[in-house]
Amino acid sequence: MKDFFKGSSLKVLIIAVVVLLGLAIYTATAGGSIVAGLLGFVSAPMQGIATDVTGSVTEFFDLESYSKEELLDLVDRLQRERSALAQQLVDYEEKKRENEQLKVQLRIAQLQPENEMRSASVIGRDPNDVFSGFSIDKGSLAGVSAGDPVITEQGLVGVVSQVYATSSMVTCLLSEDLQVAAMSIDREESGVVSSNIMTASSGLLRMGYLSSETGLKEGDIITTSGAGGSFPPNLIIGQVQSVEKSENDISKYAVIKPYEDLAHVQDVQVIVSFPGKGEETPALPEEGDPAEEDVE
Amino acid sequence: MRDMNRVIRFLAYTLELLVLFMLQETPGLLPHIYGVRPVLLFPAAVAIALFEEELPAMAFGIVGGLFCDFGLGCALGFHGVVLAVLCFFISLQSRAFLQVNLMTALLTGLWSLALITGAQWFFLYYFTYSLPEYAFMHHYLPKYFYTLLFLPLLYFLNKGLYQAVRAQDR
Repeated sequence: MKDFFKGSSLKVLIIAVVVLLGLAIYTATAGGSIVAGLLGFVSAPMQGIATDVTGSVTEFFDLESYSKEELLDLVDRLQRERSALAQQLVDYEEKKRENEQLKVQLRIAQLQPENEMRSASVIGRDPNDVFSGFSIDKGSLAGVSAGDPVITEQGLVGVVSQVYATSSMVTCLLSEDLQVAAMSIDREESGVVSSNIMTASSGLLRMGYLSSETGLKEGDIITTSGAGGSFPPNLIIGQVQSVEKSENDISKYAVIKPYEDLAHVQDVQVIVSFPGKGEETPALPEEGDPAEEDVE
Repeated sequence: MRDMNRVIRFLAYTLELLVLFMLQETPGLLPHIYGVRPVLLFPAAVAIALFEEELPAMAFGIVGGLFCDFGLGCALGFHGVVLAVLCFFISLQSRAFLQVNLMTALLTGLWSLALITGAQWFFLYYFTYSLPEYAFMHHYLPKYFYTLLFLPLLYFLNKGLYQAVRAQDR
């Protein structure tokens, strides 16, 4: 122990701490680094494989949906088909998944043909992320960039926050970092959809800045308004579950239940381009409606 | 021969950290308890530090920490610094004051994981988001206990690895 202060170990520790702090400050200010890019390049394919394997194993052990006879039939059939289909099976799951993604993309594209999208799969969810953020298997090589909205067939789920070559990090709609200009298509009222740890843990959102005379009612559908140019208009966010009085002032807020289970999303679409992207369109000015900011 | 064994052991530690990172990041693999999942890299770095000298312990703390930073998408280096310093002192403590066994490993895990989780809450949540007390009680505390459950397993894994490769030195 006496040698500890005389030896070189402490000096090495101090140097390591200084270097890491420098790295932390650099990445916090610059928003990315070569090291993060390298880690992403190495880990993304492996994360993708791990996710696929987990999905297959989970499906295999989900015996409740099969009867005993069905399982026996299934095993028998698979054994018979195995030799003939061995080569085709290598690609089968991947093709099937890709097909499903493309079907979803086609359905969304038919509804909103003006948006350009990329299909992606969720390959990672970090246990340290309080707000259910996740990573996807598409990065800058696929045309994804920071700020791109991420959706499913059920509606908006988040925004791309960091982009690496072959993967990206997505900030979930449940995150307190994200604020979305929203409106009710039924009542033509607008507000800002956000969340905090308490609503996020229940899988709910909060639409704030509503006037005290708001006409929003349970079941009203909430969509993006498109103000600010960060999101295309009319992306579904969820439906009103209840309308409550704000804790701080006379305004009200609506509790929104998203149609999508935001904490367990598996396949998503990234909107890489849409009309009006990045253009500052003024929010509809309404009395008691300060919904002017869109994201962050 | 001795150097070769060290290299093999260090490669095994690196592979262990990489595999654990994959496991903890894979959606749906580890079940949610109270809405949280465990961080496997924390007890792994602590277990490695119990058996290794200060500098290797610090190095593997940095590796594990950088993986955590990358997974979370936060400033690259935060967990690296925390785990580097902790693993350095855990190694020092285990070589100077403690006989390493399951009980001392658990005690070390209790305070070190509490420090890491506390640092996460304080530096990454408290100054940035609302309702820090709620987050502490409903996210960080359950995650701490859930993560702690994996310490005995990773302790025995790394003890086996250390003894198996070290035995060949003699």
